[in-house]
Amino acid sequence: MRLIVNGAEHDVAAPDHETLLTTLRDRLSLTGTKLVCARGECGACTVLLDGISAYACLTLTAACDSRAVTTIEGLGRDSDLDPIQAAFVEHDALQCGFCTPGQIMAAASLLHENPAPTESEVVRGMSGNLCRCGAYPKIVRAVQAAALSANGKSANG
Amino acid sequence: MAKRFVTTKVEVEGREETKTVELPSRNPSPWQDDAELHVVGQRVQRMDALEKVTGAARYTADVQLAGMLHAALLRAPAARGRVTALDLSPALAIPGVRGAIAFDDVPDVKLDGVRLFDRTIHYANQPVAAVCADSLEIAERAVRAIVCTIEPEPPVVSAESALAPDAARVRPHGNTHRSSPRILSRGDVDEGFREAEVTIEREYRTPVALHTALEPHGAVADWSAGSVTVWESTQGVFNTRADLAEAFGLPLTAVRVISHYMGGGFGAKNGASFAAYTAVALSKRLGRRVRCLFDREGEQTDAGNRSATIQRVRIGARRDGTLTAISLDATIALGIGGWLAGPARIYHELYRCPNVRSAETFVFTNTAPMSSFRAPGSVEGAFGLECAMDALARELGMDPLELRRRNYATHDQDKRRPYSGKHLDECYRLGAERFGWDTGRRRKRDDTSPVRRGVGMASLTWGAGGGPPAYATVRINQDGTIDVLTGTQDLGTGARTVMAQIAAETLGANVDDVRTVLGDTERLPFTPNSWGSITTASVGPAVRVAAEEARDSLFEAAAGMLDADPDDLESRDSEIHVKHSDRCLRFSEVCEKLGDVMIIGQGSRGPNPDKTALSAFGAQFAEVEVNVETGNVRVLRIVAAHDSGRIVNPTLAESQLEGGIIQGLGYALYEERMLDGRSGLPLNPTMHDYKVPTVADVPQIDAFFVGTADVVANHTGAKGLAEPPIIGVAPAIANAVADALGGATDVTEIPLTPWRVQASIERAR
Repeated sequence: MRLIVNGAEHDVAAPDHETLLTTLRDRLSLTGTKLVCARGECGACTVLLDGISAYACLTLTAACDSRAVTTIEGLGRDSDLDPIQAAFVEHDALQCGFCTPGQIMAAASLLHENPAPTESEVVRGMSGNLCRCGAYPKIVRAVQAAALSANGKSANG
Repeated sequence: MAKRFVTTKVEVEGREETKTVELPSRNPSPWQDDAELHVVGQRVQRMDALEKVTGAARYTADVQLAGMLHAALLRAPAARGRVTALDLSPALAIPGVRGAIAFDDVPDVKLDGVRLFDRTIHYANQPVAAVCADSLEIAERAVRAIVCTIEPEPPVVSAESALAPDAARVRPHGNTHRSSPRILSRGDVDEGFREAEVTIEREYRTPVALHTALEPHGAVADWSAGSVTVWESTQGVFNTRADLAEAFGLPLTAVRVISHYMGGGFGAKNGASFAAYTAVALSKRLGRRVRCLFDREGEQTDAGNRSATIQRVRIGARRDGTLTAISLDATIALGIGGWLAGPARIYHELYRCPNVRSAETFVFTNTAPMSSFRAPGSVEGAFGLECAMDALARELGMDPLELRRRNYATHDQDKRRPYSGKHLDECYRLGAERFGWDTGRRRKRDDTSPVRRGVGMASLTWGAGGGPPAYATVRINQDGTIDVLTGTQDLGTGARTVMAQIAAETLGANVDDVRTVLGDTERLPFTPNSWGSITTASVGPAVRVAAEEARDSLFEAAAGMLDADPDDLESRDSEIHVKHSDRCLRFSEVCEKLGDVMIIGQGSRGPNPDKTALSAFGAQFAEVEVNVETGNVRVLRIVAAHDSGRIVNPTLAESQLEGGIIQGLGYALYEERMLDGRSGLPLNPTMHDYKVPTVADVPQIDAFFVGTADVVANHTGAKGLAEPPIIGVAPAIANAVADALGGATDVTEIPLTPWRVQASIERAR
């Protein structure tokens, strides 16, 4: 089958029962997407499927044929960070960093659907992603800052 | 000539040890509180943030080696019994399976009192065998094919049942640790209670809490030509190396342990893990690279936990609030093993009281072994002591904060040592001010609404002075950039950044030119585990000494180039200036002229000051809303004032405070490992059923530092700060709940689930 990950096409011979998480991590070596609970409870494996957040641990690869998958590796890199990634860095919205890719992808989906969320909308939108280090206050601040900077950008053309 | 090797006292996780230390090559004068520092104290950006936000950071769980096999564990579905038959052959017959091991195939090593793959089952989910296959999926399928027969016996699940006269023996010598009861006493408590005009007596209960690190325990092992390289999710690469070398009969030179990034430890990852022993044993046996990661259920049921406690507390005081006696009789459930992290210590330390006696009974049960968990013992103890202090304040009709101030301890009373620095009084003052304590206390109660507000507070202390041995090397590269090499770990605390800041400050370098290399036993000098909040105060001074040595060499080299005396040079932002002149050279220019000369400084951590107590302090305040109809508790805000000496990086330090407070919130309100009382089997081994706080549970948090550089503790002036913030949260919240309920009832048990709160309300009726 054909899997489009971060804009690149891959021919993947995944069995029908294989999860997208396994395909990404073990076949494509995209290890930014994390395996934590394997049952849709923690959000660490969040990716974008056609721009909307999905738990890769509960998504079958077979169901992603010809759909666009975006992982943390495809969001932004080095000097070309996505505003959400930049805001996480600036606001220290992470500690151990293990949940961070999932948090950022969840934020990307949230801001895609709601470019100017209120604080309580951010909290609700991010409440499916657990962070055991407790970076939550700064995660909320970072997502709000990312929304502002993205809106500022589009307002300035 | 003065002795080069001396001994000194070092405290880790509440345990004091005597360590030998080689005196450092130099002993810098402390950075005084008013020292003009340019990098230390600044909000420098976390140095590995870019790797973490792009998914580039490679954790142990992400290590993928060519030809790597995957291991899965068979775990016992019973809490007590004996393996009477174990047939691995059906697993080995499955295509893609490369090997399987059990009891006879691993070194005779005990982990928390249990032999690897023991045939005697001591707790539910104890590993019985491991299978290794081309993929994790095949390995997990093969594990299910193993034929394992266990003859079950009724397990001893709770501490109370273990202490019953007719209880079955959990360990051969009995159900309590041989030191039990561990008695610690000063003064004469009986006399103290006779002197008391008011005495309160309470029983407090705390639950088993689970670390729930997002990255599970896990390791990748690559055994090759008699040596082994191990990636391990660990707080201590050197401890792990020592454990593995001993188990497999290897010299330390044949074991390399790497931990570049790790996804949370919180105290549960302090040496070679079960996963590491398994991965190494399989790699050795098969000559292949092997990864073994705990799955989530394994992590939640067999990766350490905070002990449950029962604390029977008596406090006696005079009418004016002066404490005359404190007594504690505690039962601590260790599970099948672990170490003795009892709640007693904080009872002896936090308040001035001449007569204190504690008795701790450590109990073995057929449950998974405990391990250190962020401020082990003191989190549990603070709940009992600080709730009891509030009960006493209510009895006396006194402001709880005033009661605490009246019993301010000016020195470590058990050991009769002065504190190197203590600013708890400032924590009280500034914390109360920012919280609005007096206003909160005076607020008029609205007893007509089902939602009642309350305020509460708690104070805390924790030994966080660090100590030797710890080493660092500072290398100035040919382009003027700087490597700080030190074998410590960064669990997410920010150690990478903090060490780079200390080096940059000392060298007068731009911090962006500095990188910290850590987490590798082969290439880096020794440092201790990242535990006990000791890293900054232990490794930081070693980094400073190494950087000073390097700076002196650099200045000597530059002096010739600048036609100046080395003593007339100073540096800032990676530029060396001749004082009172405009002559200067960039580090890069000096290094270019030096060619391939490499400037290297070595540093080590010196001894701690003699007869001095090194502690961190804090005061935490909570405001809650309690719905008296539903029993639901909502924490509205937390104000936390902490004294941890000099703060090297306020942003990272505040992140630690917020994180500790949020973990404390979970402990106070939600977190509780549940076992079936009869079978001992886990009831909530998932992240859905074991409730850690989500972003939606987080109150407004105002966490900050008071106090000043602790120049007596060490020459950087810094003390530890990662563990203290979790300590006072649960009692502050419980005291606020009791306040909201009008003080008619005590809150004596956590987590404060709605049914427990309702039970408290019922008792008051």
